[in-house]
Amino acid sequence: MGGVEDDEPPSKRVKVSSGESGGLSNGISVRDQGSCSISDSMARLLASQEDDEVVGSRGVIKKVELVRIIAEALYSLGYSKTGARLEEESGIPLHSSLVDLFVQQILDGQWDESVTTLHEIDLTDESITKLASFVILEQKFFELLDGGKLMDALKTLRTEIAPLCVNGDRVRELSYVIVSPSQNLLERTSGQESRLKSLKKLLEELQKLLPPTVIIPENRLVHLVEQALDLQRDACRFHNSSVAEMSLLTDHQCGRDRIPCQTLQGYSGLDRPSFQILQEHSDEVWFLQFSHNGKYLASSSGDCLVIIWEVKVNGQVSVRHRLSGHQKPVSYISWSPDDHQLLTCGMEETIRRWDITSGECLQVYEKTGLGFVSCGWAADGKSIFSGVTDKSISMWDLEGKELECWKGQRTVRIADLGITTDGKELITVCKENTILLFNWETKSEKFIEENQNITSFALSEDRKFLLVSLWNEELHLWNIDDCPKLVAKYKGHKRSRYVVRSCFGGLEQSFIASGSEDSQVYIWHRLSGELVLTLAGHTGAVNCVSWNPANPHMLASASDDRTIRIWGLNRLNDDSREMLRRGRRCNIYYCVFASVFFNPLNIFQNQIKFITPITEGTRSTKRIPLVCICFTCYNSTQ
Amino acid sequence: MDADPRQYENIGLNENDIHKIVKSYLVHNCFKDTLESFIACTGEMQPTDHLEDMEKRKRIYYFALDGNASKAIELTEEFAPGLLEENKDLHFDLLSLHFVELVCSRKIDEALGFAQSKFTPFGKEQKYVEKLEMLSMQDFMALLAYEEPEKSPMFHLLSSEHRQHVADSLNRAILAHTKLPSYSVMERLIQQTTVVRQCLSQESGKDGHQPFSLKDFLKS
Repeated sequence: MGGVEDDEPPSKRVKVSSGESGGLSNGISVRDQGSCSISDSMARLLASQEDDEVVGSRGVIKKVELVRIIAEALYSLGYSKTGARLEEESGIPLHSSLVDLFVQQILDGQWDESVTTLHEIDLTDESITKLASFVILEQKFFELLDGGKLMDALKTLRTEIAPLCVNGDRVRELSYVIVSPSQNLLERTSGQESRLKSLKKLLEELQKLLPPTVIIPENRLVHLVEQALDLQRDACRFHNSSVAEMSLLTDHQCGRDRIPCQTLQGYSGLDRPSFQILQEHSDEVWFLQFSHNGKYLASSSGDCLVIIWEVKVNGQVSVRHRLSGHQKPVSYISWSPDDHQLLTCGMEETIRRWDITSGECLQVYEKTGLGFVSCGWAADGKSIFSGVTDKSISMWDLEGKELECWKGQRTVRIADLGITTDGKELITVCKENTILLFNWETKSEKFIEENQNITSFALSEDRKFLLVSLWNEELHLWNIDDCPKLVAKYKGHKRSRYVVRSCFGGLEQSFIASGSEDSQVYIWHRLSGELVLTLAGHTGAVNCVSWNPANPHMLASASDDRTIRIWGLNRLNDDSREMLRRGRRCNIYYCVFASVFFNPLNIFQNQIKFITPITEGTRSTKRIPLVCICFTCYNSTQ
Repeated sequence: MDADPRQYENIGLNENDIHKIVKSYLVHNCFKDTLESFIACTGEMQPTDHLEDMEKRKRIYYFALDGNASKAIELTEEFAPGLLEENKDLHFDLLSLHFVELVCSRKIDEALGFAQSKFTPFGKEQKYVEKLEMLSMQDFMALLAYEEPEKSPMFHLLSSEHRQHVADSLNRAILAHTKLPSYSVMERLIQQTTVVRQCLSQESGKDGHQPFSLKDFLKS
């Protein structure tokens, strides 16, 4: 092959984007007809011999295809010389010479010739030939019309286009265009640049019509690479940061340091560290929820108190308001769509509406003789829904007037109430193992039936997915867009006596988190269903979790141990980074210890801070001269 | 549930009524000669200009039925001026008849010219252009695209049923214009009977009674 090349100058390749054609740049190269050299025919011969050759360890990539799409990519990027050289050297032409001729004829506007060439190209499906001819002849038709040659255009329509017997509707439109040419002119502007535009469109359409073996689809290689990146990102179990610019050079993989796994350290003004273990409640904490904007956290507890916490910019969470007034513990809290108000539902008691800024109770909703079990805001924030102990659902306006009541088996005593994005459907648990999606305007009902009793559910942010917690310690994910479909199941956490809540969270809600009766928080990767992390730290059953919608690195959990923990990222601090730079190859971890008997403390030993990864409970003890007994873990690699 | 035919005997009929029914039918369909003999036989008088009008209407009707729309339009304009301006749908139908005739006789240039000149006022209204309620311009213009319109998807536009339909509409419009009833009494009677029978059979006959068939009734 090399010898042939020395004799002949490389055949001229005219790239479409040269000045004469005025700026068209798609990857189709055109060979100058005149200089079809010996190397071409040699190349073609060699190419056909190599048809079955494969590349890569798996043997699924055909060499011919790979070279062709690389050549197309080179032309698309503007490296036409390189592209031509590749074609020559590999002996694999990007397109057959017939196709090149065809494209050139299209660009020159030689419609009839191009149709003839089209017929010569072997397209197995005759209908494709017809469709492609139609498209070309349509262009011819419009050109004649633009040039004022009405009768010629009509002739083309009658003798060339209509006999193809395809696209009957379009034929109708075209004949109408002849009759009222003014309409035609309005749609199409004449002029040099619009001609180029329409040529480009024509080529694109032809590319789509013709099979990819004949004309390589534009940017095919780029498309394949993008697909690969998508797959990598989907497979990444810990993908929780939008920071990641995916590189082509390595497979994308987030470390698990991007998921909240560490009870956050906050700092008070005196540079004394305080843990984000919030201990304001005096009884078991049953429920908590971040506001939609992530600036507030509302929690409720067995002490009948509701606390509103403020999430500061530095991640510090502090008390904002204490809302008292309920006589029973609050089982459910709902933030208004604009986050200015809060609904709290006492267990089979009243519903109260609070203003966040002032902490005042704006309205108490009551129904004589009955109690409420759940509450929720309408999508427009102008009315609220509630589940009642008599199994009905009521709708109220903000002033406390009951607007509507739907009786019947609508809800059982489970405190969850959901509303779909369009505000039209209410989601409640209507029987022990059935969820009702109730369109309150049309009264239509859809059901999700489970084979186990349901304990609670959560709605995703886009309201298209429902996460249902079941009696048998499973979480089921349902797609409720249109017809309900079971999508995934998550297992691992423990639940036997209480209601344990779960939630969606993380970047694009790609994680599922749940509390558990074994005092841990469980986190699964949503797409794969894999359990990626368990967070230990609480000393009582974790009743509820909430992931900050505005901060994918913040998670809050509420527990029977009367505390709320705020979890954040496992941070290597500056000192330890410096040490790494000094060449000390060791992993240094933060040490967090909570013992049953001692208050949580932190150890500072010179500049070194010890960290434990909060994972599957691998612990080793090491004695350190200090006042308290504590567990530490120091891991190092040599 | 058919009524007992013996019940029919209990209903008395007036001869004049029957005459009226027959006459209205004849007038509606322009059977001038038959009408004259009928009148002669029954001994009634009709105003003479009635007969002349009928003759004119008859000619218009038959021109339309043959597809000679231009003649039909001309005579209509003469006989009932302003009728076609009022009835734009009808006007459009007639023009399209003429257009179809031109296409069928392969006079493509003429057809194109005709379409461009005559159809432009209609082109402004969307309902004539697109396929909404009625046969639209697009359907007719599409005939231009085919060398053999009879084999095109739009062949139904050339059918005699279509022409019949247009001729009938024209007839009714002219009758209405000259203050005569646009439906003959006979037609109405038959239509009413059919509807009534269908209602009755629907109400009583959920257990498989056949719907009313005029054909069968006429045979019995």
